[in-house]
Amino acid sequence: MSDNHSVIGRSVPRIDGPEKVTGAAKYTGDLKFPNMLYGKILTSPHAHARILSIDTSEAERLPGVKAVITHKDVPTLKYGLSPARWDESIFCSDKVRFVGDKVAAVACLDEDTCYKALKLIKVEYEVLPAALDFLHAMDEGQPQVHEEYARNINTEIHQEFGDVEKALAEAHHVRTDTFVGQRTYQSPIEPHSAISMWDAEKLTIYSSTQSPHYFQHYIAREFDMPMGDVRIIKPYLGGGFGGKLEPTGLEFAGAVLAKLTGRPVRTFYDRAEMFAHNRGRHAQYMEITTGVDKNGKILAAKANFLMDGGAYTSLGIASAYYAGALLPLTYEFDNYQFDMFRVYTNLPACGAQRGHGAPQPKYAFESHLDNVAADLGIDPMDIRIINARRPNTVTPNDFRVNSCKIKECLERVRVMSDWDEKKKNLPLGRGIGVATGSFVTGAGYPIYRTDLPHAAAFIKVCEDGTAATLYTGSVDIGQGSDTVLCQMAAEAMGYRYEQMKIVAADTEITPLDFGAYASRQTYMSGAAVKQAGEEVKRQILEMASVMLGLPADDLECDDGQIFSKSRNVKSLSFEEVARKHFVLRGPLLGRGSYTPPKLGGSFKGAAVGTSPAYSFGAQVGEVAIDEETGEITVVGIWDVHDCGKVINPRLLHGQVHGALYMGMGEAVWEEVLFDDKGRIKNAELANYRLLTAVDMPPITSEVVDSYEPSGPWGVKEVGEGATNPTLGMFSNAIFDAMGVRVNSLPLSYEKVWRALKEKREREEIAKREDAQRGLAPQVPVPLETVPLESEEPVYANPS
Amino acid sequence: MYVPDFEYHAPNTVAEACAILAELGDRATVLAGGTDVLHKMKVGKLAPEHLVSLKNLDELREIREEPGRVVIGALASHNQIYTSQLLQRRYLSLPMAAHTMASNQICNLGTVGGNIVNGVPSADLPPILIALDASIRLTSAKGERTMPLEDFFWGSAQTRMEPGEILTEISIPDQQTTGSTYLKFGLRRSGALAVAAAAVSVQVSGDTLHAVRIVLASAAPTVLRVADAERSLIGRRIDDELLAEAGQFAAQASRPRDSIRGSAEYRKNLVGVLTKRALKKAIDEGHA
Repeated sequence: MSDNHSVIGRSVPRIDGPEKVTGAAKYTGDLKFPNMLYGKILTSPHAHARILSIDTSEAERLPGVKAVITHKDVPTLKYGLSPARWDESIFCSDKVRFVGDKVAAVACLDEDTCYKALKLIKVEYEVLPAALDFLHAMDEGQPQVHEEYARNINTEIHQEFGDVEKALAEAHHVRTDTFVGQRTYQSPIEPHSAISMWDAEKLTIYSSTQSPHYFQHYIAREFDMPMGDVRIIKPYLGGGFGGKLEPTGLEFAGAVLAKLTGRPVRTFYDRAEMFAHNRGRHAQYMEITTGVDKNGKILAAKANFLMDGGAYTSLGIASAYYAGALLPLTYEFDNYQFDMFRVYTNLPACGAQRGHGAPQPKYAFESHLDNVAADLGIDPMDIRIINARRPNTVTPNDFRVNSCKIKECLERVRVMSDWDEKKKNLPLGRGIGVATGSFVTGAGYPIYRTDLPHAAAFIKVCEDGTAATLYTGSVDIGQGSDTVLCQMAAEAMGYRYEQMKIVAADTEITPLDFGAYASRQTYMSGAAVKQAGEEVKRQILEMASVMLGLPADDLECDDGQIFSKSRNVKSLSFEEVARKHFVLRGPLLGRGSYTPPKLGGSFKGAAVGTSPAYSFGAQVGEVAIDEETGEITVVGIWDVHDCGKVINPRLLHGQVHGALYMGMGEAVWEEVLFDDKGRIKNAELANYRLLTAVDMPPITSEVVDSYEPSGPWGVKEVGEGATNPTLGMFSNAIFDAMGVRVNSLPLSYEKVWRALKEKREREEIAKREDAQRGLAPQVPVPLETVPLESEEPVYANPS
Repeated sequence: MYVPDFEYHAPNTVAEACAILAELGDRATVLAGGTDVLHKMKVGKLAPEHLVSLKNLDELREIREEPGRVVIGALASHNQIYTSQLLQRRYLSLPMAAHTMASNQICNLGTVGGNIVNGVPSADLPPILIALDASIRLTSAKGERTMPLEDFFWGSAQTRMEPGEILTEISIPDQQTTGSTYLKFGLRRSGALAVAAAAVSVQVSGDTLHAVRIVLASAAPTVLRVADAERSLIGRRIDDELLAEAGQFAAQASRPRDSIRGSAEYRKNLVGVLTKRALKKAIDEGHA
């Protein structure tokens, strides 16, 4: 693509950079209002218990306590994020379903008094047996988490496309592998926080949210208010990664406490409470079967999954559908079967975490594909190139893929990483692995059923033309959308980025946008912003046409200058034309909105995974394994993405680095651990091991030249897609280094050490047996699995 | 999380501190850097009525050379130890151990004394200090006593500290050792507690070891000196096999438990590997 853009495609500095690096940026937890109270929520210490009584009288008598509330003081309407399963209450009334379930709340003059007051609330529980192991949650006789969902089944999916059994019967090679993924937590640096206040019948909430619109919708619904009387404002936000997508007890309880006291109330989670609220990655059991021809071409694939949903639905129905829906994207095959159960357990609810639903299934599929390649003696890179999806194709589950350069990504990363050389020459203990990923560029359908546009924007040009303000409901959660959208606005207007201002994510001031999830904003919010900018530009050119006495279609506006395309006449500045417009025609405004086209098929669940465009990417990683300890050193990672036109290269590569960082953590280091009472053992950052700066390897990140015809200027997503290959890439690199496969996440040092130890022991036995039989020793390289902690081994089932 | 209410004292002399502690008995807890005490209070594991802060006792921050020994004030922070030119010159292994402890923020606050009296088996400084034959001075209203650091620990979070006592200094005697080191195995490169760790000091004489100390962390309820492993090395020609054998002795002597950082079996294996590698490093690289 020729690049004749002035503003997009450049690494302009972040619009919020100075505020953030100087500490001037105010996050929700920094805000203070006159007479503000502090609120905290009392949570359940039991995984599963009946509430017999709650006595708040002592807490109410404590000086400094202004309000104490329980289920009796709040609406009883159940809420949630997925409309098909609204199963959460503001406070539990009959029973609690996980350690951390919400029971009561207090509002006090200061934070310390809150903690003291919580201790004085007396709750009598009858402890019930708990369902803690998702692998057995559907078994007969297991405790029921919700009485209305038999066998603890929250979501059940059975989809088949094409004729899987026929294709498998005809395949040259059929193989089944089983993998287990762990629960991880998003761990944003900023804890959840909300400040609620009332002005007569109007409720205003400042919140660390990824979606002011969904908050507004669900809060209005819960309190039976018109949406117009609920105002949600998102201040600066320190990361969400899916964990701040839905309203929490903080907003609901805070709103009630603020109403009762007539004062603003700030509610917040500390780090342990964040872990307890959770909504992180589902733990998942994944069985993958494929049949391939003799060249490794995939003929059919079967995915049979079981997911630990925790105690509530959250966004988990979508997670469950996503897990299977996105699998057929990177590789082409016609026959596909997807079966899934998402089960309730007495553990914190799981939800959407970066790469929603896709990273673990991708880990399973990519690991499995390497096993298939090994069975057939095909290079892992080649088997991926053989199967790589082509542009302008349709997946078996009816997703239309326009631009797609997965093959080019693989070919490029092969060169960048020196794959062929390393594959031949790396010594034992060093390994290299490849995996691919793909992700939606915005969900094709909203979370709740509505025909509202997905994004809208307007631009107001200052009366003297020296600035333009973009008003957008989109949500910068740290990824840089404010910057990117201002670039897009300036580009569309023919204006300068440096003169852009932005007001974002305030439901009373900014127009509708569904927010920061599903990697949607650059594309969808960007489409609305582009339209708004073009409307400003059209008016500027019309005004300039009058001022210059030239036809508007002979004029162009670029970089704040209006000039004739054909004549050598004096140019006008954007400022003087904008000012003249204001004087003669009134405020200079541009408006835009975006609604995706109708997407997807008509089968049950067809909507989940639809998107107007899909990103693609390939990653190669090189690891060194310390055979005596299992320690994994990441030597380097090479990432190539097809993410369409790049608006801001520096921010794009920042997204790749961030996604890789999270993917690395999930691959080897992170896991939320529970004890046998359902309590989190590592709800803190010392033992929930997020990687540090010194753990990060050298990363080489590139993009392939790509243009998505449906998107504004050809853009697609990158922020989540770059997480998808990483887990599988690590699995394959470790496999390459050691000749053994660890079949459960995280691929921890101990599991790697154990796999090596067991391999050595097997080889010893084989050698001894061979010696007894008088045969020459052979070194087998069998596949093996490693159990989750304290579980019996689950062995792979190679066909 | 919050810190429960307490009464706060900040005496200006060690004598004053001792007097306050004598009066308050077990109702008081000594506060040094606060990285352990305040955390325990926040999570509800400790609720003292009184906190006696040592922050005004600047004389306890000093690191100095005296005839026959190096003295480290108990209030010296981990970063003070890390950046001490004296310690870097005399026993570089100790500053390097301090550097492995935690984030900069914690290393700026946390103190060597706190790391010792906390008494946990994963503490990073006691193993290398014991390997260097350090002793400690305990001060109370009744007077002072010294003891080898090795004798101070008797169970997990259990020490020989009496109520009313303050750990005031750590002393490393001049010695014949030719090398020492601390090798820690954590599950990430920064801010990780030891899954297992080994500190050693060696006195190399020709191609044999004349003396050796091997001290393990996160390998038993207390920091653990492994005499069998030490004995197995004395007077024998140094080679890889010998060091691996010593590692096996250390692993056998260790009594780790299953924890969220690793199974007992894995940690035993790590003890063997780390002991072997620490010995090799101390022999080859001196105090490092």
